[in-house]
Amino acid sequence: MGACTPADSKTIAELRGVTKRFGDVLAASDLNLSIREGEFLSFLGPSGCGKTTALRMLAGFEAPTEGDVLLDGDVVNDLEAHHRPVNMVFQQYALFPHMTVAQNIGYGLRQRRPRLPKEQIADKVSKTLEVVQLGGFEDRKIWEMSGGQQQRVALARAIINEPKLLLLDEPMAALDRKLRKEMQIELQDLQRQLGITFVLVTHDQEEALSMSDRICIMRDGRIVQVGSPQELYDRPNSRYVADFVGTSNFFDGKVADQSGELTTVCLNNGLHVRGTPVGELISSGEVTISVRPEQMTLHRQGDGLAVEVRNRIFLGEHTEYLVNHEALGDFLVLSPRQSELTEGAFGVGDKAIVSWEDSAALVLDRN
Amino acid sequence: MTRRTRNWLLLAPAGTWFLVMLIIPLTVVFIFSFGERAPAGGVVPAFTFEQYANLPARWAAFKNTMTLAPIGTLSALLIAYPLAYYLAVKSSPKWKTILLVLVIVPFWTSILIRSYAWIFLLGGRGIPALLELVGIEGVRLINTPFAVLVGIIYGYLPLMVFPIYVSLDKLDKRLLEASSDLGAKPWRTFLQITLPLSIPGIATGCMLVFILLMGEYLIPALLGGGKVFFVGNALVDLFLQSRNWAYGSAVAVTLVVVMLITVTVYMRLINRLGASREDVSIM
Repeated sequence: MGACTPADSKTIAELRGVTKRFGDVLAASDLNLSIREGEFLSFLGPSGCGKTTALRMLAGFEAPTEGDVLLDGDVVNDLEAHHRPVNMVFQQYALFPHMTVAQNIGYGLRQRRPRLPKEQIADKVSKTLEVVQLGGFEDRKIWEMSGGQQQRVALARAIINEPKLLLLDEPMAALDRKLRKEMQIELQDLQRQLGITFVLVTHDQEEALSMSDRICIMRDGRIVQVGSPQELYDRPNSRYVADFVGTSNFFDGKVADQSGELTTVCLNNGLHVRGTPVGELISSGEVTISVRPEQMTLHRQGDGLAVEVRNRIFLGEHTEYLVNHEALGDFLVLSPRQSELTEGAFGVGDKAIVSWEDSAALVLDRN
Repeated sequence: MTRRTRNWLLLAPAGTWFLVMLIIPLTVVFIFSFGERAPAGGVVPAFTFEQYANLPARWAAFKNTMTLAPIGTLSALLIAYPLAYYLAVKSSPKWKTILLVLVIVPFWTSILIRSYAWIFLLGGRGIPALLELVGIEGVRLINTPFAVLVGIIYGYLPLMVFPIYVSLDKLDKRLLEASSDLGAKPWRTFLQITLPLSIPGIATGCMLVFILLMGEYLIPALLGGGKVFFVGNALVDLFLQSRNWAYGSAVAVTLVVVMLITVTVYMRLINRLGASREDVSIM
């Protein structure tokens, strides 16, 4: 995971009740979020969820329709992009095609007034090229660089200005899978090394989970949940989050009893299941029970749901079973290798009993 | 059919056309330019430089062409660039289409008719009459270099707008955002990003307009009223009025040579500018 960020660290940027409309289209609705100094924060969501709009408002390319954008404590709603101490790595990099690598990277420094001495700019450019492991590439043309190299140039062009926020708009989207993995690790290293606050926009949950200190999950222009990757995985506040972050099994039902610490849910087939309520449940009581496959265990006998094994995929450390319950339908169980070694593996067609701890069953809003 | 024959077939129609309509006539003109005028008009074959020695007599035509063509090109550029910029960068998609059509609309009418309209506008009962109403008297516009300039800018503006529009339209707008993001104020973004990346469009537009202006005949004839004339008008005069084909040929050859030299120098300049665009960008 990313660098340790003290929970009480300073807020560097903030969205306060930010709403953005493009004509009739509501792109972002009542966003509230504090970005802490030095953290690696990701906006995660499908396309059209408003994450890019949020980023563009931080960059200064869009002004909020309502609410305030704050940088370092100051409201910057109408401060244009070229006045903000914020830099962005664009999705397709947006490198200047008529300039060399060094000229691209030095561009931000050349805009400074009073002017910086040429030698100082050249010196800083070559140091930054070293940081992104492109030492000696100063005089290359942009079109001579590979996709991965171009991305490093785009990164160098932004970080050379030592921005308060570094915004990354799906920076890995154009890279192939292997290169993407490498760049993810490099980006994290770089963030730790520079101590700059990174704000990433992505639709790739794996990318967000592996790189971020905190993730802000968005849907239809709203923030659904903000938290560390572990929090989002262990305590999703809705079915949407549980489904987006990792894999889970969902069983729809109605709240039957909410008096105790645990909630009892009557599943659609009449089965009663106890679970831990997370977040506020809607009053209609229409809920879903979410259980992660690795928190379910398979037994030969005992209490639990009687199922039949439909499929078995051996994954090394784990074995993934697709099981069928006659009322609940198909769902997944992930069994550790160790339990298979002690209990023996189940074969396709075997009868088995599935059980889980009450604490592993989360009672969630069905949306 | 081999690839080779196919390629030749592709080139054949245009090649034949150019040979018959361009190369052969040019050669004929070139040969004529060393001849002598026949007593009854036309040409007598000879080998003499007499016609070329006589060129200074038509100096005024060359002077007019060589001043009004560059000035016209430059003025068209200065008027066309902001328009093309607005069309490509600023206008909404709906307005863009409407405005682009408006730029083309003049082509639906013959240049002859449109130039006649200008004769009226610039003539005594047109703009000068309006100026008299506000107390400015004695302004003469028609048959002046200014009238010819107005006419050629009007006639050739679309040819300048389109190449520049195309180069600005395909300019990646995120480059402008990136420039702004890196701290460049709007006019510096223009100087460092927009302008250098639109040089191909500017070069094409200027070339098109300039070459056509060098050979312009109709507009000076109508709006210059015989007082402001181009080499093109001199040629018409020599070939059709005084029927001095030999001298006319010499003038024509000289025009072609001047045009070739100008265009070559211009191309060199543009190429050098293109090669060192990086220096331009660090203004």
